[in-house]
Amino acid sequence: MNREQKSMEVIKHKLGKFSRGEKNSITDIMGVKVGHLSVNKDLLDPSGEKATIRTGLTAVLPYPMKKEMRLFTGSFILGGKNEVTGYEVTDDFCYLNSPIVITNSFNIGKAYNAILSYGFTLKRSEIWPPLVIGVDDSYLNDMRKSHLDEKDILGTFFNASEGMVEEGSIGVGLGLRAFGWKGGIGTASRVFSLDKTHFTCGALVASNHGNQKPLKKPEINFRSEDGKEGSLIIIIGVDVPLVPYQIKHITKSLMVGLPFSSPLKNSSDSVIGILFSTANPMSMKNDEPIVIEFQVVDDSFLGTVIQAASEATHEAFLNSLLKADPVQGRMGRKVATIPDYEIDKLLEKFETQD
Amino acid sequence: MLPSKALIKSTPTRPHKKSFFTASPRRRLRELGIKIGTMETGPYNAITDVEGVKVGHTTIIRGEGEKAVRTGVTVIIPHAGNIHEENVFASFFNLNGWGEMTGISNIENTGRLETPIFLTGTYNVGIVYDAAVKYLSRINPKLGDLDRMVSPIVAECFDDFLSDTRSRQISEEDVFRTIEGAHGGDVAEGAVGGGTGMTSFGFKGGIGTSSRRVHERYIVGVLVMANTASRNQLRIDGVPVGKEIKGFQNKSGKTKSIILIAATDAPLLPYQLKKMAKRVALGLAHTGAISQTGSGDIILAFSTANKILQKKAPSFHKIKAIDDFGITPFYQATVEATQEAIINALTSAQTTVGLDGNTAHGIPLDQVEQIMKKYMRIGTHNHE
Repeated sequence: MNREQKSMEVIKHKLGKFSRGEKNSITDIMGVKVGHLSVNKDLLDPSGEKATIRTGLTAVLPYPMKKEMRLFTGSFILGGKNEVTGYEVTDDFCYLNSPIVITNSFNIGKAYNAILSYGFTLKRSEIWPPLVIGVDDSYLNDMRKSHLDEKDILGTFFNASEGMVEEGSIGVGLGLRAFGWKGGIGTASRVFSLDKTHFTCGALVASNHGNQKPLKKPEINFRSEDGKEGSLIIIIGVDVPLVPYQIKHITKSLMVGLPFSSPLKNSSDSVIGILFSTANPMSMKNDEPIVIEFQVVDDSFLGTVIQAASEATHEAFLNSLLKADPVQGRMGRKVATIPDYEIDKLLEKFETQD
Repeated sequence: MLPSKALIKSTPTRPHKKSFFTASPRRRLRELGIKIGTMETGPYNAITDVEGVKVGHTTIIRGEGEKAVRTGVTVIIPHAGNIHEENVFASFFNLNGWGEMTGISNIENTGRLETPIFLTGTYNVGIVYDAAVKYLSRINPKLGDLDRMVSPIVAECFDDFLSDTRSRQISEEDVFRTIEGAHGGDVAEGAVGGGTGMTSFGFKGGIGTSSRRVHERYIVGVLVMANTASRNQLRIDGVPVGKEIKGFQNKSGKTKSIILIAATDAPLLPYQLKKMAKRVALGLAHTGAISQTGSGDIILAFSTANKILQKKAPSFHKIKAIDDFGITPFYQATVEATQEAIINALTSAQTTVGLDGNTAHGIPLDQVEQIMKKYMRIGTHNHE
């Protein structure tokens, strides 16, 4: 069975009780776009040293960025040593105004500055604060020598698409690995109804965790050479009308329930989750009426949203492994794609979760 | 671009105030005869009274009219060693989150400070962050290779009243130079470094600092980058100075954000530093500021007493902490030093003309003196 058939099998597999969205991706949510920038090259730096660049950037644009709006958001960071810029506004004002960018830790400043430039170019009020999440891709990538170009980053924002999302070793996913296998970008979606109204939930993950020798028996046979801590980044979009306390509740519940997230088993890994709702876009302008009316789903439905988000996140994680191509990186290191029988083990594990 | 040892000064006594810091007669609050609170200050009455703490500024003043740039960067280096290898405890308090302070995820989850602290204008954050990463990777060749990455602390206020912020005219070299030039001892205040384009309480604001001694042996030092609050809110030692001052109106009183950094050499653990950070907010309140919606009021507190090794840490090691029941004097010191630091930013800052001819007036010191006399805060011994 080839990889394509294997993916089909996984897609056919009943991952949970809700059905997938049309594209089975975070872009199933109206207005959400994804863009990737991959940099895959071997070069000699001016000092004559060889550099192997296997890096990139992945951007989730949560709403049409030309419009000036803010969405309700909430984040959850478990053991995070990773950078998350824009933390203060997310934490205190619970709003999202910026693209969510995942890139390697040496490029956070560049990406931050590029988001500002993007906002200025769009001739709208500024996009602020930029939300950039850093990951460590130094196993495969010469992180110290990989500096992204602002023009390329801007191009990624402008060319971001609402269509099918490429997964695996693409964008920031190029240099990532999970459980010692090739990791990267994965996405999935779920559609569900709350009191006869249909809603969509989409997840995009960047898997870069589980590379340390676990204390407990691992879920899968993992391959690892070093003990570097990693992270799992999860971005979830929903079109359910939610307000911040509900988003916080969903994000927390979701993080605790993730079976493959591993940070609790490998204590120095971290999980960073960000959830946004596109249902209550608020204006950035000050001349709005003082009283804003929000539509809000009743708390009794939050369990369904958590279930849908959880299923989408699980499948997105599986996709990040399944769709990843093997990559040879710096110091001749090779990271292989996870074999089918290990995926089967993950699926079994998944089934026993419900 | 390493900080040069020759620049590290930590003389224990305060030398004669150097005149080149203030070309026109701007004064620190104490030089006007006004004392905040009851506690003694350290020798420099600055955050640098905490041994090993160094402060550096790069001030960028270019052009006029619509091209005016009034910005810069200030760095606080937490101790004399390699901060990446020897971390110190820190905590953070998000009083009003309309602002940016990068690196907080790490502080919140590990309780450790492992980078210098940079203060700058809002749109400079990406560039300063990038430069900080380059600096840190230069002094730590394994960073991003064998060692995990670190997240530099870069905090901002919006200097749009005086500066063409969108042009982002700050460079990597500016940041390196700032680190290189950081030193102990006297700290330049007012319209310098990250404070160059800031306005506060309707007057020129910027960088201010102050310190207090606790139990004869410890220091609490505070440094602020003040760009917040409106004029009629201003109180100095409880006196409604902002309401009493005549003239010197700005074209716009729209100011936003204040970043407050507290440092101590007393051994405090992260949860205690969190409590200390909250007392910094009380010090801010004493100046009359109310943390308006658009003000990113972000506080970081760190203690240099316990050095935690990033690598090769022994399996078991001792850390010290002040007992919670003896911590109250540190809160008093924090509240007093914060107030004085914020007011020092005002009294030290020179009138600055910036973007589109916008003028931020230095608070008129003669009026401040008169008002404080009227309310019996100068020339009396009510604090002794």
